[in-house]
Amino acid sequence: MSRIFVTGMGIISAIGENVAANRWSLKQGVCGITTLGLFPSKYSGVLPCGEIKLDTQSLREKLKAREPGMTRTSLLARHAFEEAVQDAEMTTAMISAPDTALVSATTVGGMCLTDELYHDAHRESNGSVYLSSYDCGSVAIDLQKHFRLSGLINTINTACSSSANAIMYGARLIKHGKARRAIVGGVDSLSKFTLNGFNALHILSHEICQPFDRDRKGLNLGEAAAFLVLEKEEDITNRKVYSELTGYGNANDSYHPSSLSDEGEGPYLSMKEALAMAKLEPGDIGFVNAHGTGTENNDASESQAMIRLFGKPPAFASTKSNTGHTLGAAGAVEAVYATLNLLYQEAYASLHFEVAIEGTALEPIQDYTSMPIRHIMSNSFGFGGNCSSLIFSKA
Amino acid sequence: METAELKQQLKKQIVEFLNLSVKPEDIKDKEPLFGEGLGLDSIDSIELIVLLSREYGITIQDPKEGRKVLVDIDTMVEYIEKNRTK
Amino acid sequence: MFYIHHTACISPQQSFLQVDLERLRESVNNQLRVIEPDYNGIPPGLLRRMGKAVKIGVGAALSVLQEQTAPDGIIIGTANGGMEDCIKFLNQIIEYDEGILAPGNFVQSTTNAIASQLGLLTRNKSYNVTHVHRGLAFENAMTDAAMMIAENPSMNFLVGAVDEISTYNYNIDYLDGWYKKQPTSNVDLYETQTEGSLAGEGAAMFLVNANPESALARVKAVYCLHTEDERVVAAGLRQFIATHSPGQPIDWLVSGENGDRRLNRYYEACEKVLDEDTGICRFKHMSGEFPTASAMALWIACYMLREETIPRHMIKRASGHTKVRNVLIYNNFKSLQHSFMLVT
Repeated sequence: MSRIFVTGMGIISAIGENVAANRWSLKQGVCGITTLGLFPSKYSGVLPCGEIKLDTQSLREKLKAREPGMTRTSLLARHAFEEAVQDAEMTTAMISAPDTALVSATTVGGMCLTDELYHDAHRESNGSVYLSSYDCGSVAIDLQKHFRLSGLINTINTACSSSANAIMYGARLIKHGKARRAIVGGVDSLSKFTLNGFNALHILSHEICQPFDRDRKGLNLGEAAAFLVLEKEEDITNRKVYSELTGYGNANDSYHPSSLSDEGEGPYLSMKEALAMAKLEPGDIGFVNAHGTGTENNDASESQAMIRLFGKPPAFASTKSNTGHTLGAAGAVEAVYATLNLLYQEAYASLHFEVAIEGTALEPIQDYTSMPIRHIMSNSFGFGGNCSSLIFSKA
Repeated sequence: METAELKQQLKKQIVEFLNLSVKPEDIKDKEPLFGEGLGLDSIDSIELIVLLSREYGITIQDPKEGRKVLVDIDTMVEYIEKNRTK
Repeated sequence: MFYIHHTACISPQQSFLQVDLERLRESVNNQLRVIEPDYNGIPPGLLRRMGKAVKIGVGAALSVLQEQTAPDGIIIGTANGGMEDCIKFLNQIIEYDEGILAPGNFVQSTTNAIASQLGLLTRNKSYNVTHVHRGLAFENAMTDAAMMIAENPSMNFLVGAVDEISTYNYNIDYLDGWYKKQPTSNVDLYETQTEGSLAGEGAAMFLVNANPESALARVKAVYCLHTEDERVVAAGLRQFIATHSPGQPIDWLVSGENGDRRLNRYYEACEKVLDEDTGICRFKHMSGEFPTASAMALWIACYMLREETIPRHMIKRASGHTKVRNVLIYNNFKSLQHSFMLVT
């Protein structure tokens, strides 16, 4: 089956509106997690979030998006999608070709408009302009309409591992000859719905998150959109290639609806599967972009899984310490960051870490470091035990 | 309210709030709520904290602290009687 | 693509366990709600938390899995997941002004709740994915299953779909004009010359693999389109038939016609592509309209292939072929999304 390469990327997150800006922020150790400024919620100014510093109206103007019913989630997706396809030097004809697939991911969809959803769901008026914008599929459908996409289109929602699964799915579509190229990724915007949901579960920290720290108190939510263009080796001539997607794995922890098992079985299995596909040994992995949300449960479970798999894990970091947990976008955001690690042979500091989790002696990398990396693993573990791992290799 | 009456009320509230299939009167006062006994889990413990807040005006910030109270009906009732504001 | 070995469907009709499709159950208040079974296979501790979508999805899946060893993957399609739980949580947010909220509804509201509960119940640690692309959620799940089987020819996969009528989802789609504004019965759904359809819900699950022996049916191909041009749909169908059924006549078209007059043009265009001998039958008066209704269409296709009979109330045009061997399903959802499935 074909070898799959990343030939274009686009991203907008709390630490930058494009790939270059994100890289700069990562290098500088910029933390994009702040107390909410633009968001209408009781928690504005209280809960730290990885908010994109561009309000929805400005985003709409920047994109010249005049259609009614465009949610913040859809706008962010369009922003990152445009950057990705331009970066891959895709012509309009290629974008809308029947052999170009789109695999998107989101957990929130248009439910970022919590108040409008409430009013429409209770039929309190004749209906807002967002009636067809609430479901997860609406984001990919907006992209389909705007860019006149005519190939296979899909949306995946497996909670925090959604866009990692979208990346895998896109790669498989190409390998099975169902698409020639795939634009893959995900998006989520901050919403009252998820904010209150995670807060109700007591896994939202009221302080800046501290992934892998002994005293971590929970996660900070973030928002982002990221897309990558995947193409097969035979199609890439005289164009830049960023990285190769050499392995992936998907396993279920099968333990509890919203927390991972103590021994990290699901994470362990998905990582193992990715290694097997890439035909690599644990020792071949030079760096891990961990899921590392900063919750007591995830970081403990993930640590156990890494120790089980690697014995002595390689250098690792959680970029959620820069961006917050971007839910449906996380897998794709971190795939972009993993590709940057490979492209520039560097690792970025994992922020806000002080003391290792007891019994693990695991410390994420704490300074920007130039280092040779051949293979990098990026992990995403979510609600429902949905665990996914991706391996990217130097192209 | 008498302790016995409060126990009855609490059992009924727990069954309704957590949508349990057992009858309130079948819950024993000293039956462990978690693990064995009623077999509730971590999500239930958070839900019970919400119940205490809504019905009795008691705020428990940390679910771990909450587990010390949420042992069985007797411990819960004792805690409610001491701390209720409603 | 793959072979279907076991299937189950919980729907507004008598489709689960004791199947009787001849008698059409009627809609109530413009809705077709499922006949809910006893959920004996689901432990009370888990059942108490489940919203209807999760219950019927899990209920149908457990029925499919009962004779099998654990599947090597669980692949579910759902557009709205646990929408009812979603809105219940939303109600709490508004009612308690973002105060102290009970998280149970939030956890159950996620679209991957069905697949994850199944993984939990069957202690299944293998491939687990939820596809949510609105009217093509099930078709994407099928494509995923087909690729998994091609990669792992000795493996079995559970693939299926579910969506529920939640009061709130009904309101949103009603306001958006997708449901009838006038009282309408499913009995004469196709005679109405009005906009909108009836709300439906259901779950259909399938155990699939690469083994033709003792299979109930074979899914030969699935194709999806996004367009609002019926000529593009017709051209797509022509190409689909030429590629996947060359020289083999289609015995029956299972049509997703749903009584919404605005969508008739797509079905008319497709019917024109087919031979006069191809029979046409419809199913949305049985299922109602919902994003993953095509999963029930596939279940019905399996029924037709097995029983070699079509309930009278489904038939729009009789088939000139005596046997039922080649069944084509065409479904449209909210105008933009189209799918074809070839089942033999």
